[in-house]
Formats: sequence, structure tokens, C-alpha cells
Amino acid sequence: MRRRLGLGFWIATGWIALVLAAAVLADVLPFARYDETLAGPPQTGPSAAHPFGTDGLGRDVLSRVVYGARVSLGVGIGAVVLGLAIGAPLGVLAGYRKRAADAVIMAVNDVALAFPALVFALAVVAFAGANLRNVLVVLGVLGVPAWTRLIRGATLSFAEREFVLAARVLGVRDRRILWREIMPNVAVPAASYAFIGMAVVVVAEGSLAFLGLSVQAPTPTWGGLINEGRTLMETAPHVVLAPSVVMFLTVLSFNLVGDRLRALSDVRQSGLEPVRQAVAVLPAAEPRPVAGALLQVEDLRTHFLTPRGAVKAVDGVSFTLERGKTLAIVGESGSGKSMLIRSVLGLLPGTGVARGGHVHLEGDELTAFTPEEMRQVLGRRLGTVFQDPMTALNPVRTIGTQVAEPLRVHLGMGRGQAREEAARLLASVGIPDPARMLGRYPHQLSGGMRQRVTIAMALSCGPDVLFADEPTTALDVTIQDQVLRLIHRLREERDMAVVLVSHDLSVVRQWADEVIVMYAGRVVERGTAADVFERTRMPYTEALLQAAPRLTDPAHHRLRVIPGRPPDLAAVPDGCAFRPRCAYAQDRCAEQAPPLLSEGGHLHACWYPTGRTMTENEGADSHGR
Amino acid sequence: MAGSGTAHLRPRDEVLLQVEDLVVEFPAGRGRTVRAVSGVSFDLARGETLGIVGESGCGKSSTARALIQLPPPRAGSVRLDGVELTTLRGEALRRTRRRLQMIFQDPISSLNPRRRVRDIVAEGPRVWGAAAPVNGGVNGGVNSGVNSGGAGRADGGGLDERVDAVLEAVGLDPRTAAERRPHEFSGGQCQRISIARALILEPEVVICDEPVSALDVSVQAQILALLEDLKARFGLTLVFIAHDLAVVKNVSDRVLVMYLGKTCELAPSEELIARPAHPYTRALLASIPGSGLGLPPADRLISGEPPSPVSPPSGCRFRTRCPRAADRCAVEEPEIRPLNGGDHFVACHYPDI
Amino acid sequence: MIILHRLVRLVIVLLVVTFLSYAMLALLPGDPVTQILGIGANDEARAQLRQELGLDEPLLVRYAGWLGALLTGDFGTSPITRVPVAAELAERLPVTLELLVAAQVVALGLAIPVGIAAARRAGRALDQVLTALSFALLSTPVFVLGVLLILLFAVTWQVVPATGWTPISVDLGWNITSVLLPAVTLGCGQLAVYARLLRADLIATLQEDYITLARARGLSPRRILWRHALRPSAISLITAVGLNMGALIGGTVIIETLFGLPGIGRLIVDSIFSRDYLTVQGGVVLISVGYVLVNFAVDVVYAAVDPRIRRA
Ligand SMILES: Nc1ncnc2c1ncn2[C@@H]1O[C@H](COP(=O)(O)OP(=O)(O)OP(=O)(O)O)[C@@H](O)[C@H]1O
Ligand code: SF4
Ligand code: SF4
Ligand SMILES: [Mg+2]
Repeated sequence: MRRRLGLGFWIATGWIALVLAAAVLADVLPFARYDETLAGPPQTGPSAAHPFGTDGLGRDVLSRVVYGARVSLGVGIGAVVLGLAIGAPLGVLAGYRKRAADAVIMAVNDVALAFPALVFALAVVAFAGANLRNVLVVLGVLGVPAWTRLIRGATLSFAEREFVLAARVLGVRDRRILWREIMPNVAVPAASYAFIGMAVVVVAEGSLAFLGLSVQAPTPTWGGLINEGRTLMETAPHVVLAPSVVMFLTVLSFNLVGDRLRALSDVRQSGLEPVRQAVAVLPAAEPRPVAGALLQVEDLRTHFLTPRGAVKAVDGVSFTLERGKTLAIVGESGSGKSMLIRSVLGLLPGTGVARGGHVHLEGDELTAFTPEEMRQVLGRRLGTVFQDPMTALNPVRTIGTQVAEPLRVHLGMGRGQAREEAARLLASVGIPDPARMLGRYPHQLSGGMRQRVTIAMALSCGPDVLFADEPTTALDVTIQDQVLRLIHRLREERDMAVVLVSHDLSVVRQWADEVIVMYAGRVVERGTAADVFERTRMPYTEALLQAAPRLTDPAHHRLRVIPGRPPDLAAVPDGCAFRPRCAYAQDRCAEQAPPLLSEGGHLHACWYPTGRTMTENEGADSHGR
Repeated sequence: MAGSGTAHLRPRDEVLLQVEDLVVEFPAGRGRTVRAVSGVSFDLARGETLGIVGESGCGKSSTARALIQLPPPRAGSVRLDGVELTTLRGEALRRTRRRLQMIFQDPISSLNPRRRVRDIVAEGPRVWGAAAPVNGGVNGGVNSGVNSGGAGRADGGGLDERVDAVLEAVGLDPRTAAERRPHEFSGGQCQRISIARALILEPEVVICDEPVSALDVSVQAQILALLEDLKARFGLTLVFIAHDLAVVKNVSDRVLVMYLGKTCELAPSEELIARPAHPYTRALLASIPGSGLGLPPADRLISGEPPSPVSPPSGCRFRTRCPRAADRCAVEEPEIRPLNGGDHFVACHYPDI
Repeated sequence: MIILHRLVRLVIVLLVVTFLSYAMLALLPGDPVTQILGIGANDEARAQLRQELGLDEPLLVRYAGWLGALLTGDFGTSPITRVPVAAELAERLPVTLELLVAAQVVALGLAIPVGIAAARRAGRALDQVLTALSFALLSTPVFVLGVLLILLFAVTWQVVPATGWTPISVDLGWNITSVLLPAVTLGCGQLAVYARLLRADLIATLQEDYITLARARGLSPRRILWRHALRPSAISLITAVGLNMGALIGGTVIIETLFGLPGIGRLIVDSIFSRDYLTVQGGVVLISVGYVLVNFAVDVVYAAVDPRIRRA
């Protein structure tokens, strides 16, 4: 907690505490009273007796600043408390009750927010009289709409979370839900905003005082001091600078504390933020290009350098791919599938990454390409489709512009020609009425249609390899079938290769020619689909296959349970990474990492591979070896 | 689907939960409403697991929430052990609702990030105080099952013991887990905590809304196995909702297939997979890669995309995508009816038999 | 449909705003006539003002009458200066408008490059410096900044005059000189707000899938920034501009006082001290209505540029 808030937070808190203490103790502090004239020679600069110097009447500036803090902080804290006291209940009511209460409160609030606050404060204070109470009340009340909106927003965001629903299912009463489930979550953003609100109020009070419309002389106020000091700017700048600096520091501190608290409202912290460091290069084996391969990946490594250590997201992956083939990459979440794709494409973050290995595309070594050269490859020779079609398209550009863009950039087509070609592409991925579709925006399309659009974009320049990272995971099963069929058909038509990433074994089984099974950033088994699924050698692959329910199994069939969960990639166990979960592990597995060995092209990394032949309908309970 | 009707319901005194003609509506802006659930009926016998499958937006979750009256359905009846829930209000509803518990899809968002696991799990007993478990005698009860000494006492040491026992029952170590907060756990562990929170109240029916959809295969198997174990141990009755037919088949005794807010087909799970009669069920099964069921390719069983639920097709709602659709399908909504007089029901004019 | 809805709201807000401005004067504690004219005023003046204000009628009726006059451009005549308030406002409005526009130009003109530069190098030295600077700027009250800038540029280096105003009609060069420092002062606070917002928004946008996919299509970083990332972020910037109009307008009151510019804000402050409440009221009404209208315009623009709203 302490480290997360940072040093600045504590310095700022210290400063606020200091100013607050000085304001409270002003009467007993050893300096002249704020209104004592000729406490020292007029207009003298800082000295031991008067640390902030004296003003035109010889009054002690430090004393005046400290007494001014009473007004500033008093109004700041008072107005925020007042605004919160009125705004919070309204906000909670609006956020939690919704419907009528919400509609009424928010309608009034909208109107209230449509006022230029400072001008109104000015007018009210001018009409009602400039004194502490009026200033405090006006600034407090003017803050109410903002408070209401903030608290409502926070309440609303939590009131719709499932844990609140769960509490209601438990039979918890509304009042308790508000206090136990919602309030603790709303408190942090509210505290954060309270500090920012204090900064706002201190500035507003200062503005009024500067205009002579806050607490009246002789009581000093920061704004008033700055206004007075202006006249001495040429002869005694310290008179204006002292209150200015104090005020600036105070406002800065309030803002800083608020800002840090806001950062705190995110409870989870990944600890995965990459450290700031340039891209490092990891050692890798010498490249040995394979003749005839379209895409060849050798010993590819991507490590994220984090405060917890190196996260080995991809750790020595090699494969080759030929035209007209589909290579599938399977593995559980976090096994490095997506990072492998991004490493091949060179789409890694610019900092905090160490990378190594080689990628060859038809003899070109992509890993040696400059970013400029790489851009000629991306889009043209390598196409990409991602998992979530909802986020894969730019929400504020039309489908037509987006599909036509690679055509114009890479193939130099004119606007009209690119649009025609885009319509043709959309038709080829099965989008009805493509011409009309060009003018639409992504949010007007269903998920399946959007995924078709992203596929059309990936294919626009006729790539050699299509990378599809979980292209159907976000889609319904009937639509998934359509999209996978489409990708397969396009592969045939265009004679390209496909790299299909999926966590779904049945998808892989049906559509892949070759399969890579990944675990903890490494390849643990690789071979043809038949090898991997019917002649499984790696215990992990076998366990995965038996853990997935199948339609052909009887109801209530006992699934194989793999205990534990995948390792933390920053602390992969020595030896075989799967050992803590492996049913066949022996001592050797803990000591030595098993190498990836080939048996007639079927690779597996295991000291004690399973030897059995699995057929589709075989019961899974009998995992003999 | 599409259809309505109640031919598939069993006599009331044989079932624990009976849902009849459930209708759930939501405002869809501009004064329109969506019927997310449109006349769905089903029932559950004690100790039975009913699976509900369908694609996103077909009304699975709305059905689940209507069962616990959050929000109450627009129309229809939900009867738990003879007590009509839809007409209950206030305190009476709150009391009855705890006999139904729910497990949600998103393991992270269903736990309050600022509370400790112990407080999360103990919330139910704390709210209900020393009240005797609602169904303590009926099926053994979680508390008597795992900790016969602590049952009935909701405060002090008794409660702590109950929490420890239930955490242990879901496969978490109370010593390390109880004092931590949800973000320190993985998705699978969070789901275990959710299950513990639901079980400690000894519910009669547990509604699981996509409980494993957010989990990896290996963790999914762990949670499915856990649910089966707990069900056997505490005699639970489950409603299990998922979009993955293979998962649903694995845990369910009977399966209900939904499309666009309507019932398509209801059958014992083996029967449904072996002899799917409704064109939509067949398409769903054929779309599953490598299902090995010998169905024709999916693209011959279904086409296009689901229509908007705001303006569903007339007659049978599946007709816009159905290869068997005929004129009659556009004008007459199919009623649910038994096939071969058995326990297999289908709502289609031209089922595949 | 949406526009109609907004128009209705606009009218309601305008009614409420004008009513409050009016009621403030009418609800002055004590006898408003005494409040306005002071205790020493003679009976003739009191009677005249009482009639001018229509004080014998109920509040709403008086408001309706006042609003009707307002719509014809009649803001009343100041009992202190004996000048029609409308004429006074008309004379001063250009100054305030010029200040506002200039400040907005300064703020946006600097914030966009600063925000983009910081976002592109998020986490690196330049970003950290820019972020710290804008945070400091954000925490500097406008009058403190103004005093500092005057101290530096007008007093120490004497490159611009500290105060005073030359209208455009008199001399363009001097006009620019006289608006420069006030506009920079006023714009700086907004600059920080906009730059921080743009930076945060751009960083979030640059992490979206569609940006990664644009990179995967081999588009150049420049193109990705300008064609793909900036547009969604610009949309949030427009909202911020609308929301910050209030702060900016409040700032003009101070800036005009500080730099001695003859604008509406200065008029309001001066009138408060000369107890010329009718002029104060006129100024407040003008500013509030202007603010509401600007916000309405921003709303409409926002709806027009964001397709998610436009077509929803
Ligand atoms: N920017 C980053 N900094 C540090 N670690 C990262 C970063 N991005 C990814 N990782 C880590 O890299 C590992 C591999 O992630 P990756 O996304 O490739 O997994 P995946 O197999 O695609 O998983 P999923 O099935 O969930 O998509 C994860 O442990 C992840 O936490
Ligand atoms: S090497 Fe050992 S621990 Fe690893 S998978 Fe093989 S048998 Fe299991
Ligand atoms: S055959 Fe007719 S009734 Fe049956 S699913 Fe198809 S459209 Fe509906
Ligand atoms: Mg991934």
C-alpha cells in the first residue's frame, strides 16, 4: 500500500498536514498577529525574524499567510463536506434505486451543471454579502451536482455487478447491501474526489477573495493577499510570491493526493507492468532455413521484463509451415499462444521486452527487417484476425474506409477502385448487400458479420499466411462453424497457409493439418493432427483431451481432472513445467527439463511419454500407458 | 422454437420447481420492449439436473434471473415446493429466495473485491442469523453434512466453523484462503468461493448461469467434477445453463434447448444427443466440430444469423434459418408435444423423427 | 428525435437559468430598493425604481415581464450610471469574446501536440516531464499564474504591457499584444486539462485491438495515429471543451480584473462594488445564457461526429 501510493503522496499529505496544523495553531505560534503593523520594517524581504518578509505596512507575511490558511482550508473542507453531505445521499439514491428517483435527480442535476459556477458564486456572494458562511455555503452547494453525478456513477457501476445480485439472492436487505457491498467500493473514488474537490474549492475561494468578494479585511485570505501584493510587485515581489507559492503547493498537494487515491481504486494490480527498458535481444540458435517452407519460425523467444522477473511468454518455439496447410496452436489461457503470434508478426510492445530467434518468410528473415521493411510484409504477405470482433474494428470509421485502407496504402488503388474491390471482398466473405455495408459503422453489425469484415480486411492484399487468433471464441457455435468454414474455403481458393490459434481442442481437431500444443510458453507436443489427437505422447495433451467433455461420452461421465493450474510464467518450475500436475511424473522430471524429441516428425517433450493410441470413442477412465 | 405449451410438464406433486409460461420483458428504447423469454415452461424433480442450452441472447440468463425474481417475470408462474414465488413480495420473498441460490458466469465480478473470503461466504448465515436451515431435515443439508456440531448457530465460533467446513467442501484450504480477498485467487478458485457462498445456506435449488464458460478446459473439468460431487453429497437440485452442449450433456439429466426466448426441445440428455428431433437442435449439434454424431454438415442444417429479438419472426421463430420451414411455419406457432408418447418433447411442425 | 429532446432541455435550462438570475436580485434580503439604492436615496428615485422593478406584482409575473423585455434586448437602465445595461454589455462583449477565443486557441493549440507527444512516448522521459508539468499547471490558480506571468513578462522583462486594452478597431498589433498575456494565462489551465485528457485517451485508444490490427496490416505509425487513434480521442476532447467552458468563463472575470481589460467580467465586478445590481444581473444573465448555448452547441457537434451516437 505504502509503495503503491508513492513518495509524492506522502510528501503532499505531509504538506497538507503542516498547513492544517499551522492554521489551527496560528494563535499560539510565535509570530506577530496578522494585523499588527510595523512588526518589522515595511517591505523587507525574508529574514530570520520574518521568514516570508513583511508587507507594505510592515505586517509579518508569514503570519498573514498562516491566518489566511484558516479561511482557505476552512472553506475548502467545509464546502466539500457540505457538498458531500447533500450530494452523496442523492447520488446513492439515484444510482441504487434507479427509475423515477434517478430520472428526477439526474434531470435536476443536468440543469444545475449547466450553470457557470464561478460567475454564479460571484453573483450570490455579491448579493447575499461577502462573509465566511455565505462563501462556504455557496461553494458547497455549487459542488452538489458534481458530487451527485460522481457518487451515482460509482454506485451504478457496482450496483450492476454480479456480487450485488448474489447478495440479493442470499436474501440480504437493501440497506445492508448498500453498506456492506456498495459503500466500501464507492468510498475510495469518493475520497479521491474529496481531495480534488478541496483543490477546486480552495481555488474558487481564492478567486473570490482575489476579487474582494470573500471574507472581508482585516481577516487575511490567500486570494486577498495576492491581490494586495500585486501593487508591490515591482518593489517587494515576495509579498505576492509567498502566498502564491503556498497556495500553489497546497492545491498541488490536494490534487496529488486525490490523483493517487484514484489510482488506488483499482484493487487488482497485475504487477506485470513492464519495466522501462529498451528491447533486449536474447541469444538464439543459428538460423537453419528449411527449403520449401513458406513460414519458418526458429527458437523464437519473447520475455517480458517485469519487476517480478522475466515473464517467459514465448520460450524457444520453432515450427515450419507450408502453403495450403493449417497449423493450429492450442493451449490453455496464458500459455503464450497470442504472444507467439505477435512475436512472429513483430507486434510487441516497444519497451520491457526481450526477444530472440528467427522468423523466415519464403527466405526473407523477418526478424532482421527494419520497421519500415516489416510494414511492407504486414498486411501484404501476412494477414491477421483477432479474437474479439467487437474491438477489432475502429468504431468511428465506416466499414468501407477500413476495408479499403490496406488496398489504398499497399496496392496504391484510387478511392473508387478501392471501394469496388472492398465491396467484392465483402461479398467473398459472405456479407449480403456489400455495397450498402461499405457505408455502415461497426456497431451496426452483428458479431459474426464483424468477424467476416475483419477477415475480408486481412485478406485484402492476398496474404501468403493468415494468422487467426481465436477467431471464433467470441461467437456462437452456429456462427463459429460458418466462420471456420469460410476461413477453410478461402485457404483453398487462395492457396495460402493458416495459423489458427485456439483453446478449443475440437475446433483444432476438425480444422488443423498440424498441431502445436503449448504449455507455459513452450511447445510440448507437435505433429500432424492425427499424431497429436490419436497417437498422443505428451501427458499434458492427453490430460487436456480427457478433461474436455465430449458429446459421445455418456451423461455424468467423469471427466479427467488435472489438478492445480498452469504455472506463473515468471516462476516456471525447474525441470518439466507440467510436473506439479502430471500423473506420470518421476524424480527425473523435476531435475531435467525434457527436450523436444522427434519420433518420425511427431515431437514431444516428455521423459515418460504415454504410448497408448487413443481413439475417439474410447472411455477416458482407463488411462493405461 | 419455437414453441409454447405445457404438455411436457409433470404432475405438480412430483416436482420441486415448476415454471409455467414464463415471460420476461426488457425495455428496448424508443418505447419498444424485447421479450427475452416468451412463454417458457419446465419443471425439476428433487435431485435432478436440468440443463438449458442456447446461443447468446436466447434468454437463458433472463430465465435464470426470473426464477429468483430478480427481476420478477412479466408473467407466468414459478412454484417452489408448491409456493408461488411471483406473487410474493418483500420479506416473504426474501425468505423464500434463499432456498434458491445462484452461481454466475464471471467469477471475478461475482465477488466483492473489498471483502475477505470469510466475510463473503459468511454473509448468508449472518443475514439469516440463528434461523434454522430452511431445509435442514430434507436432504441432510450442507452444514449437517460437513459439520454436524455447528449447525444452527450463526454467530461466533459456530459460524467460523461452518465457513471453514464449506470452504473445505469446495476444495479450498480455509487456513490459507479465508482471510484473503478475491483478487488473490484465480478464476477457478473464485468460482469455488461462489459455490461455497451459495451452499452455506443449504439451498434446495442451485441455478448455475454459465458457471464454467470463463474457465480453461482443465479448470472447467475441476468445477464440473466439484458440482457433481456436491450434488451427490448434499442432494442438490440444479439448473445448469451453458452455451456448450457437450458441457451441458455431461452434467444434466434432462436438457432444454432454447431459441430466441422460446423452447425448442426437451429430452433426457442421452436421448437428445442421440435422437435430436428439432431442426435447431440438430443444427446446434452439427455445428460442434468433430461431434462424431453422423449429422449432415452444419451449413446444410442452418443458415444466416439470428433475427432481432425486438421483432421476432411470426409463427415459428426459427423459420428464417430452418431448412425444413414450410408455409405453415410462418403462420402457426408450433406447440410443444411429446414424441412417441415418451419423455422427449419437441416444438416443431416437422420434426426429424 | 434526439435533437428535439435536446432542444426541449435547452429551453428548460434557459428558463431556469434566467429565472435564478432574476430571482437573485428580487430576493435580496431586506427591501431590494434600499439594497440597490442604499439608505440615503431620495423618495423619488425609490419610487421610480420600485416601479421599474414592478415590485408590487408576484415574482413569477415580474419574471415573465422581465423575460419579455429581455427578449427584445431590454436589460433595463442602470440606476447608478443611467446607461442602458444592454448598451454597456454590447460594448464590452467583444473584449470577453476575443479573450475566450484566444484562450481556447492557446489551450487547444498547445494541448493537442503536447497530449500526442506524451501519449506516443508514454512512460518515457518526455512523457513524464510533460505529465508533471501539466499536473503543476493544473494546480496553479489562474490569478497566481497571472501574477507570476505579469511579474516575469511585464515587470522583469517588460516585453508586454501589464494591463490595458487596445481594441482591434484601433490597432491590430497592439490588440494582439494586449490580449496575448491574458489569453496565455487563461488558456494555460485549460491546456493542462486538455493535454492530460488527450494523453490518457490516446494511450487507452492505442491499446485497443483495432490499433494492433492496424499495425498488423502494415500501416505506418503516422497513419495509425492520425487516421485511427486521434479521431475517437478528439471526440472526447470535444466534450471536455464543452464541460470546461464554465471554468474558462469564470476565469475571464479574474483575468479581466487582473489585466484591466474592459470585458463583461470586469463590468460585473465593478458593478458589484458600485452596487449597480441591475448591471450585475444583466452580466450574469448574458454569461449564463451564453454558456448554456455553447454547451448545447458542443452537444450537437458531439452527436454529429460520433457515429455511435448519431446512428444509435
Ligand atoms: N505486456 C506484457 N507484460 C508482461 N507480461 C505479459 C504481457 N503481455 C502478455 N504477458 C504474459 O504473457 C503470457 C502469455 O500470454 P498470451 O496472451 O500469449 O497467452 P494466450 O495463450 O494467448 O492466452 P489466452 O488463451 O488467454 O488468449 C501471459 O502469462 C501474460 O501474462
Ligand atoms: S516429463 Fe515427466 S512431468 Fe513432464 S510430462 Fe513427462 S512425465 Fe510428466
Ligand atoms: S420445421 Fe417449421 S416449425 Fe419446425 S423448426 Fe423449422 S420452421 Fe420451425
Ligand atoms: Mg490469446
